Amino acid sequence: MAMIELSHIAHTYEPTAVTPAYALEKLNLVWNDGGTYALLGPSGCGKTTMLNIISGLVRPSQGRVLFDHVDFTDFPTPKRNIAQVFQFPVVYTLMSVEDNLAFPLICRHVPKAERQRRVREVAELLNLTDKLSKPALKLAADEKQLISLGRGLVRNDVTALLMDEPLTVIDPQMKFEIRRKLKKINELYALTMVYVTHDQTEAMTFADTIVVMNEGKVVQIGTPQDLYNRPQTTYVGYFVGSPAMNFIKCTIDDGKLQIAGGAIPVPPGLSIPAGTENLQLGIRPSNVKLGTSRCEQSLRGTVQRVQEFGNYRVVTVAVKDELLRLKLAPGAEIPALDTWVVLPEDRICLYADDELLAQK
Amino acid sequence: MMRTTYLLLKYTAILIWSSFVVLPFLWALTTSFKTAHGITSGATYIPWLQYEPSLEGWKVLVRTGGAGINIVQPYISSMVVTVGASLISLALGTLAAYGLSRFTYRLGFIKNSDIRFFFISQRIMPPIVLAIPFFLMLQYFGLLDSIIGLIIVYIALLLPIATWVMVDFFNNILREIDEMATIDGCNPIGAFFRVILPNSLPGIVVAGLFCLIFGWNDFFFAFILTFTKTQLLPVAVVALNSSVTPWWSLSASALVSVAPLVIIAFVVERFLSSGNMAGAIR
Ligand SMILES: Nc1ncnc2c1ncn2[C@@H]1O[C@H](COP(=O)(O)OP(=O)(O)OP(=O)(O)O)[C@@H](O)[C@H]1O
Ligand SMILES: [Mg+2]
Repeated sequence: MAMIELSHIAHTYEPTAVTPAYALEKLNLVWNDGGTYALLGPSGCGKTTMLNIISGLVRPSQGRVLFDHVDFTDFPTPKRNIAQVFQFPVVYTLMSVEDNLAFPLICRHVPKAERQRRVREVAELLNLTDKLSKPALKLAADEKQLISLGRGLVRNDVTALLMDEPLTVIDPQMKFEIRRKLKKINELYALTMVYVTHDQTEAMTFADTIVVMNEGKVVQIGTPQDLYNRPQTTYVGYFVGSPAMNFIKCTIDDGKLQIAGGAIPVPPGLSIPAGTENLQLGIRPSNVKLGTSRCEQSLRGTVQRVQEFGNYRVVTVAVKDELLRLKLAPGAEIPALDTWVVLPEDRICLYADDELLAQK
Repeated sequence: MMRTTYLLLKYTAILIWSSFVVLPFLWALTTSFKTAHGITSGATYIPWLQYEPSLEGWKVLVRTGGAGINIVQPYISSMVVTVGASLISLALGTLAAYGLSRFTYRLGFIKNSDIRFFFISQRIMPPIVLAIPFFLMLQYFGLLDSIIGLIIVYIALLLPIATWVMVDFFNNILREIDEMATIDGCNPIGAFFRVILPNSLPGIVVAGLFCLIFGWNDFFFAFILTFTKTQLLPVAVVALNSSVTPWWSLSASALVSVAPLVIIAFVVERFLSSGNMAGAIR
């Protein structure tokens, strides 16, 4: 239970190389006390490395790790009092389920009565009560993962709980249940939780704040709404939301956005520095509308394809050489061929060199 | 047809191999119950029918003075030396191996793998190279012809084996287990004793077996480094030989020398096959 601060952290696994590849590039990051965070990013982007730096399993090549402003960089893992759940189940196979869950408490000399109470509580939470006396060796993979998670939850005085894709092997129904329980624990004990995943739905439903990473860099930190409405980079736009954000090349001419053969007004409050190149317009599929007639915000297009997803349908519209995707309600009327697509100005994001342009 | 040929070949091979292994024992067993007369009358195997069994060969082994060479004392000495050296080697070797497997050492250009090779290089050298230094060192400390001296020398011989086996074993235990234990609040030493060591029992058993076999069977150093006060079993067995080769007592002593190893082999086999080896991790 502390604020965790990563200050000028960078890490490479090959410190002796001439041009080392950085698993984490220089970054500053603050995890607020009691927050729920999701660390979202593709495989190999440095998520596990980040967690290991916080827990002390990996010593960062550069930078400091601060807990409540105290420098913990040189403290060994046990002193940091972090709970961490690894990416794949790690259980002590020669111990019973109960001893597995109690192990973190035994190591920290928690009195027996208290220990048993905590173990029973956690077992209840994870539906492991009837398996407590079983040897851990005999369990299935998903049950082992639950034990891993349980060992992370059994202490409630930890600095933070770091979970590295903890529910990948758990079936969806149980997954949902556990995420809900984790949220409850967070509210109950104001426990800082970091949840690594590469599933955006999981991230969105679990966390108050999402940290998106790519290739060793943090690309955006924000609430699920932030990520959805104003992705900081085109990468976040592609990675978050389904279907991905639409990105269309455009230029500025006559004070208007020249886009796919048409022109729409530049959204108000946007300052586009002169000489800006590689301009792209981004808009979420759910924000694009179909129009029946020409208006200031509209472009002429042809319906190419309609995909049904049950609770919504995705319509692909060709606008000159560009393809725009629209996310519509299931019953929405779709014109046979030619149509107008409307890009509401308050929903448009502009990107120069893949970075969002500031809007006042 | 193919199948029959295959089976035929297979069983022939097994038969040849087993006779190769078993017959010497059978020979030793029958011979140990024979007298000089029984031995000269060709290869015979069935007691009472083909030869008259006698316990003379066995009695010699426990008799002192006169016509007997007592191997009870060497037997005990051998056990003390082998078990003592094996236990110490296992303890030191396991710790060394854990260090070599989990931590990075650097001494100038010397790295972990070099240290590992240094351990095993002790066994690559022909024993005769080591004999003279060992002799001189023991002499310097006044430990020639003593149990302690032999234990020290045997540790030098067995430690590399124990270390080598255990490094390999530890390398196959996931590092995440150690890491998990440190997350749960153990320091590296706590993690070793609480989590890694219990999981390494099969490895320790195998390493221990190697130590016992090599220690028990060593003749060379036992012969060179002892004279009169201390005698180990292999040396005593060889000393049974006199102008007339006493085949009966040689056979009996050979059987009693292999007996402990056979018993241990059976026990260990049981232990390893009872699932203690399986799924120690994950
Ligand atoms: N022990 C290691 N030694 C060398 N390189 C490593 C090591 N661990 C990770 N890396 C490299 O560092 C980079 C980041 O790895 P990391 O495990 O942090 O990624 P990740 O985001 O957790 O990926 P995943 O989603 O697959 O778990 C990768 O390119 C990986 O190859
Ligand atoms: Mg990972």
